[in-house]
Amino acid sequence: MAAIDLDGVTKRFGDVTAVSDLDLTVPEGEVFGFLGPNGAGKSTTINMLLDFVRPSAGEVRVLGLDAERNSVAVRRRTGVLPEGYGVYDRLTGRKHVEFAVRSKEVDADPDALLDRVGIADAADRAAGGYSKGMRQRLVLAMALVGDPDLLILDEPSSGLDPGGAREMRDIVRAEADRGATVFFSSHVLGQVEAVCDRVGILREGELVAKDSIEGLREAVDGGETLSVTVDAASEADLEAVRALGGVTAASTDGGTVTVSCEADAKTAVIGALEEADVTVKDFQTEETSLEDLFIAYTEGTEVSA
Amino acid sequence: MTWNAVARKDFEDAVRSRWVAGLSVLFVLLVAAAAYLVRPAPGESFSSNAVLNSIFIRDALVTTLVPLIALIVAYNAVVGERESGSLKLLLSLPHSRADVVFGKVIGRSGAIAAPIAVGFLLPALVFVIVPSITFDAASYLGYTLLTAVLGVAFVSIAVGFSTAASSSRRAIAGAVGIYFLFVPLWGAVQFRLRFYFGAGGAPSWLPLTGQEVLRMLRLINPTGSFKIVSNAFLQGGLYTQGDVNMQVSATLMLLVWILVPPLLGLLWFREADL
Repeated sequence: MAAIDLDGVTKRFGDVTAVSDLDLTVPEGEVFGFLGPNGAGKSTTINMLLDFVRPSAGEVRVLGLDAERNSVAVRRRTGVLPEGYGVYDRLTGRKHVEFAVRSKEVDADPDALLDRVGIADAADRAAGGYSKGMRQRLVLAMALVGDPDLLILDEPSSGLDPGGAREMRDIVRAEADRGATVFFSSHVLGQVEAVCDRVGILREGELVAKDSIEGLREAVDGGETLSVTVDAASEADLEAVRALGGVTAASTDGGTVTVSCEADAKTAVIGALEEADVTVKDFQTEETSLEDLFIAYTEGTEVSA
Repeated sequence: MTWNAVARKDFEDAVRSRWVAGLSVLFVLLVAAAAYLVRPAPGESFSSNAVLNSIFIRDALVTTLVPLIALIVAYNAVVGERESGSLKLLLSLPHSRADVVFGKVIGRSGAIAAPIAVGFLLPALVFVIVPSITFDAASYLGYTLLTAVLGVAFVSIAVGFSTAASSSRRAIAGAVGIYFLFVPLWGAVQFRLRFYFGAGGAPSWLPLTGQEVLRMLRLINPTGSFKIVSNAFLQGGLYTQGDVNMQVSATLMLLVWILVPPLLGLLWFREADL
């Protein structure tokens, strides 16, 4: 059974389409990294999983249940670190976790959870005095209450120092080993590549890529990033480049065209640009890293992976 | 059904606010001052009921101050969490939106009941000690409870606004509007109508008599309903003596004020995107 199943999901806020016709399936037990730049629609998608917002069209199922009609049952089995949350300033860390324990109607030791996320020594302090990183750890502790079947973490590493981000990854891995499905979002590829089975890349409300990290690496492997300095290039000029065999992604800021491609496609790329009446002034190549590919995916308008 | 977890968290959060501590102190001082002002002359004695019935407690304190304090305690209940983002934390946990609204009503009801209880019960110690005041414990506790019910009615109104409001500024505007409507304005309108109906009766197009209109106006206002019930109670004849119909209607009216505003707020909240 799929832990998360989105089918043709669209969410509009007034005239703005935040998520457009999204299909996404995350099998049980998988660690899925949901990537994309800020504003791509990641949080809107997560908010639909939690029934914070409702889809304009399409169907959202979580743990086999309708995300809107059975939302309480979904959240009973889900641990959540939401985006843009606030804590209860006057309540202590322990009170927060106790509240989560009572809300989920389970037996769990708040102190053990606070210890696991590394803020046991702050358990008796009011959360209003916590740093961003400590709040992030506190809410993670609340999410872990009751060993949920699914963890939904929206930008879990934000506010954490590198050490904290590593501890977060260790917890994600431990939860996955326990059998939990983990769905988490990030705008930085580096935070997810170490722990994810698969990633999906969202851009402007659309899923532009979905693959395993290995698959992405293979797409990159032996590939090169070609930076072409030009007089002026537009999105329209890139159509011909993208249509070429061996080209993974292409983007431009007007003065530079960046293309991810196989090494032997370089000449064809330059040729296609010149055919589109773009004057090529200079070009250089380097081996593509995953980060380059991610940037190409999230900044280009179209890719064919 | 996890409203009890929400209510408990909300109460624990609210009683830590300076408002509730401050209000408890204010209450103790005001009840003590009222008791002092109506104290028996040397050699005389009277019942603690006389203190309750004095204009200081019944009109000045209970029906003008309790609604105001209840609205202050509760106007931010839901919209405050929406603005701070803690509503996302709350709804990440397995609570339905109804659990949130009714948990809030109960949590904030506790937060208004606490200062009312402390405010009435601390001065009661003095009544018990002073020999010239006969302390009528049943009436005193009953009246304290009824005052808490009046507080709860206004808490419910404020939570209703707080649930449906998009910003805390709107919620506070709604609360202030309700306060002015039910406390000063209502009294002024009733006062004028009483003269008007007394002089010429109700206009013929009204299907009600002047008396009926006045009774309706007294009933609809929660402070009016409270006065009907608490007066009958202090006179020892609640639901048995006097206008029993009116007393039952007033009790039901208070119940309506406690249930309907949160339900209306919930109707909107259920459909809302966070």
